[in-house]
Amino acid sequence: MLSDCILIVVISVCTAFLGEGLTWLMVYRTDKYKKLKAEVEKQSKKLEKQRETETNDRVQKKKLERQEEKLKTNSRDLSLVKMKSMFAIGFAFTALLSMFNSIFDGRVVANLPFTPISFVQGISHRNLPGEDYTHCSFIFLYILCTMSIRQNIQKLLGLAPSRAASKQGTGFFTPPSQLGR
Amino acid sequence: MVIQSQKKAAAKIAADHEGKQGQSLLSKALTPEFDWSDKDEFLDVIYWMRQIMGLLLGLVWGLIPLKGLLALALFLLVNVAIVYVYYNTFQKVDEETYGGTMEILKEGLMTSFSSFLVAWIILYSALHSESSSS
Repeated sequence: MLSDCILIVVISVCTAFLGEGLTWLMVYRTDKYKKLKAEVEKQSKKLEKQRETETNDRVQKKKLERQEEKLKTNSRDLSLVKMKSMFAIGFAFTALLSMFNSIFDGRVVANLPFTPISFVQGISHRNLPGEDYTHCSFIFLYILCTMSIRQNIQKLLGLAPSRAASKQGTGFFTPPSQLGR
Repeated sequence: MVIQSQKKAAAKIAADHEGKQGQSLLSKALTPEFDWSDKDEFLDVIYWMRQIMGLLLGLVWGLIPLKGLLALALFLLVNVAIVYVYYNTFQKVDEETYGGTMEILKEGLMTSFSSFLVAWIILYSALHSESSSS
């Protein structure tokens, strides 16, 4: 059981590095991405500073709005650049995952020290026989490992999106109502 | 005269900043009431502190072993409480500069939570489950 767990941790470390490596190849090293990222970061920091010193001046406000607009288009472009490679990697990983899934099919890889709440049980008890919900399937442990390892690797390598940029909330997936704030 | 003294004060502040930038993140984190000029740096400290804490608490929970959803809740409570005490009484930062209490308490919580779960589950099932020999 322990060897299964360790194997899963190793698998998720490998896939995290593979994912980041592929994204680096396809996105991070391109000039377009670098330029856009630097631009977005600079603009978000600048905007944040300007927002702190609020003015009632109409000219200033107009200027602020124009900058916001520019930031929005830039960060949308950034997300678009990322999107393509995300799709490619997503497909590759789904294939990998189904392979591992068939290897670990029906195998209890760990015993959970708690009984998961009902809607998590679908994942944690996937493809496992019996009614003992403390049995943990491959997929549950893999997801948990990926959640912690991937983000930490991104952070260590300095590839995670900066706080200033993500705080502006102008990503591709932000609903328009929020954009209009 | 006034302008000159102001200039001097500004130069002193700039020199202070330069001195602080030379310090490592760890020594900054362990200095009580450190003056955080870079907001991201402070949030990074919180983030990494949380990751280490998640892993350590996971190992402790697995060794004891603690069981059940109550142990999960206890982890969240301990985690949030330590971060709260750290920034409120040790560093004494103004949470408003970071966008409120929730922003600081949320920083890296999910990642730390999943690290905790992984450490807890692996150690628990390796040491304490009856079927560990299978």
